[in-house]
Amino acid sequence: MSVLLEVINLRKEFGGVVAVNDNNFVVEQGSRIGIIGPNGAGKTTTFNMICGAFKPTAGKILFQGKEIQGQRPHTISRLGIGRTFQNVRAFGSLSVYEHVLTGILAHDLKLIPTKEQRERVETILEMTNLVKFRNTTVKDLTIALQRKIELATALGTNPKLLLLDENMAGLTYVEINETLELLRKVNKEMGMTLIVVEHIMKVIMELCEKIIVLNYGKKIAEGNPHEVANNKEVIEAYLGEESQYA
Amino acid sequence: MGDIKLTADTLKPVPVWRRFLVPGIILILLILVPVFASEYVVYVAVLAIIYAMLAGSYDLTTGYAGPLTFCHGAFYGLGAYASALLTIKASFPFWIAFPISGILVFIFAFIIGYPALKLKGHYFAVTTFFFGYFVYLVLLNSAKLTGGPMGLRGIQAPESFFGINFATLQGSYYLTLFFAVLFLGFLYFLVNSGFGRMLVAIRENEDLAEATGINTALFKVLAFSLGAAIAGMTGSLFAHFFRLLHPTTFAWMTSEMIVIMALVGGLGTLIGPIIGAFIVTFILEIMRFAPEYRYIIWSLALIIILIIEPAGLMGIVRRLQRRKR
Amino acid sequence: MLLQQIINGIIIGSSYALIALGLNLIWSITDIADFAQGGIYVIAAYVAYYVVTAAKLPFILGWLCAIVIGGGLAYLIERFLYRRWTGKSRIQLLCAIALFFLMANLAILLFTPKAKIFPAYVQGAFNVGGFTVSFQRVVVLLVSAALFVVVFLFIMKTRMGKAIRAASQDRLVAQVVGINIHTVNSTVFVLGGMLSATAAVLISPLYAVFPAMGDLPLLKSLVVVILGGFGSVAGVLVGGLGLGLAESLGSVYISSAYQHGFAFFVLILVLMFFPKGLFGRV
Repeated sequence: MSVLLEVINLRKEFGGVVAVNDNNFVVEQGSRIGIIGPNGAGKTTTFNMICGAFKPTAGKILFQGKEIQGQRPHTISRLGIGRTFQNVRAFGSLSVYEHVLTGILAHDLKLIPTKEQRERVETILEMTNLVKFRNTTVKDLTIALQRKIELATALGTNPKLLLLDENMAGLTYVEINETLELLRKVNKEMGMTLIVVEHIMKVIMELCEKIIVLNYGKKIAEGNPHEVANNKEVIEAYLGEESQYA
Repeated sequence: MGDIKLTADTLKPVPVWRRFLVPGIILILLILVPVFASEYVVYVAVLAIIYAMLAGSYDLTTGYAGPLTFCHGAFYGLGAYASALLTIKASFPFWIAFPISGILVFIFAFIIGYPALKLKGHYFAVTTFFFGYFVYLVLLNSAKLTGGPMGLRGIQAPESFFGINFATLQGSYYLTLFFAVLFLGFLYFLVNSGFGRMLVAIRENEDLAEATGINTALFKVLAFSLGAAIAGMTGSLFAHFFRLLHPTTFAWMTSEMIVIMALVGGLGTLIGPIIGAFIVTFILEIMRFAPEYRYIIWSLALIIILIIEPAGLMGIVRRLQRRKR
Repeated sequence: MLLQQIINGIIIGSSYALIALGLNLIWSITDIADFAQGGIYVIAAYVAYYVVTAAKLPFILGWLCAIVIGGGLAYLIERFLYRRWTGKSRIQLLCAIALFFLMANLAILLFTPKAKIFPAYVQGAFNVGGFTVSFQRVVVLLVSAALFVVVFLFIMKTRMGKAIRAASQDRLVAQVVGINIHTVNSTVFVLGGMLSATAAVLISPLYAVFPAMGDLPLLKSLVVVILGGFGSVAGVLVGGLGLGLAESLGSVYISSAYQHGFAFFVLILVLMFFPKGLFGRV
């Protein structure tokens, strides 16, 4: 498997605070990675740097072998990195259909959307089980549905790498399973590489092949779910006394 | 109480003929104006159509893309003076000066827009306000070029085309109406196209738009410059219609009136600002016997609109439509 | 000649600084670029003018009336208009500009566009190394300086001042620690109104009273706020004086017609390199 994303000595300081402390990790093409850690560990900051929202204080980020750190978010999006946000973001006044269409147009702007583009919207709406909401205004929907729409829109941009920042917060057990199935599907069938930040252990343990654990900005563990769940430092910092997944 | 923005209501697709019904009727009425109305009414109608183009182009920049600007009057003025000077001093025919004035204003707006649009919050609005004032100062103080406070006279009407005499009121009217339909039609196509969708996305949530792959800086500058260019060409039409230019016609009060027109109608709907322009122009003319009161009434009206329905006339229409459902 | 220009520069600069001080506090706490202060400036000048010339009362009373009306108007505007749209800064900005528009035109309607000459507070002048300096200008300088000191002490030493500083740094957290944001808002608006009114009254005897007199000072003061930084009294003072001096000297050595444009160029230059203003913070 080839390396899709490489993070080298990544560091981010905000004034006196070190949010991300010289981290290194590698993401292979087609893999499913989870990043976990207590709040403030630097997970979202890392995402922000990968996606171009922040400029690293030091270090490099390589996507498909090329350096992308410090570039603007839209450029990075067009290179093939998609993302959802922790505080759900949406184009509120649009309908769900228009919302997904916007994502598709963003990467392939046509003055008049083509038939193929419109068909893709339908496909994505079906995949994400949003067809019955196609004409509803996004801001009138629940946060959980808005998260799904955010995911659907990101899928519309056809990313090679998808970053999900606590995308499943607030979802029911059934909804989580639905989304997990969707993610497994795009990973297997479309070869989409996934990096997921989550606090929901079910998601991390069932979806991810490799887990990276951050604490106070530093990587404290890396490995498959079993290894990580049994790692003493991780247990101390995060999982608590006994892990049921050990 | 909502915000000042409206988006195309995507709830139920409106059949094509219904969408063009109201504008179609308005257009037919406008075509018939010189046939049935007095010269004075035709003159006012020309002004209303000019303001409709200004308000419509303003909607592209602010209503669709998002940032509040207060210098639209300055772009109008720059186009007017550019066109006038090109024909007077450089002996260009109107039909060449007209598109060139649009191109010049586009380039100018692009150059100042590119750095300015990076500004956050009210910085950008204040900068545009100051820019508008600055243009006014330059126009006022460049007496050798623009005639300054004495005004610029001796502008010729557009040269005849197919035997139509554009020096007459009727000729001017139809010329202005023709270009209004052209420009506003173009704007309509643009805001409903993929380009327009990108602008709407930027307006709705700029960070998400950027993260989705939209080059927000570029689109904002393009919208800003296109809106400016149309305002500039409108200025050219005005210059050769009125044939006398004075800097105060393009001062910040004009920019403010354009903002008011757009808000009265409803930002972000294109048809709203057009209707707003007509309403405001006609009422301004009705009140021409009391000029000092006119601006006072309209600034009060703006405040009242902001209190009651910031989305303007179209906002009220939408509210009523929703109640019917 | 040069000394005269420098003094003029400092005087006009101090009027920018006074207005900018109020704008600064308002902007940093409420995120509103309060264009209405330009309108208050004009109204205050006319109030003082009529008190002094028509009612023939002493200048001090003219100034007092002006600041009462200035502060009062600002309070009413905040309380009954801006407060309706908390969080909707675009509507607030539109309202501010509409108010400016309204007040400027009201002045045209009520007082005619013709400029009125405001009589000087003190007559006479004195000589400094061959140059004549009117006492009037000295008074203006002294009063401005005194006001700056007073406001500075208010901000730094009093409880309300501390509350203002806290709110200007983080509005939400200030409320969480128990600061009544409504009281703070009202206070800064009243303060801003009084400062703009004072600036107007100080300048009027030197440059006449007319309805459009607020346009340029308002714009320049906004520039000073952007340059001088939010929550920084010193920054506003330096920025205001600096701009006034630059304009005054520039008008002699470069061009008198474009001295107003100078502020614009400075603004563009600074914002190109410091998009968040010289001292940061949007």
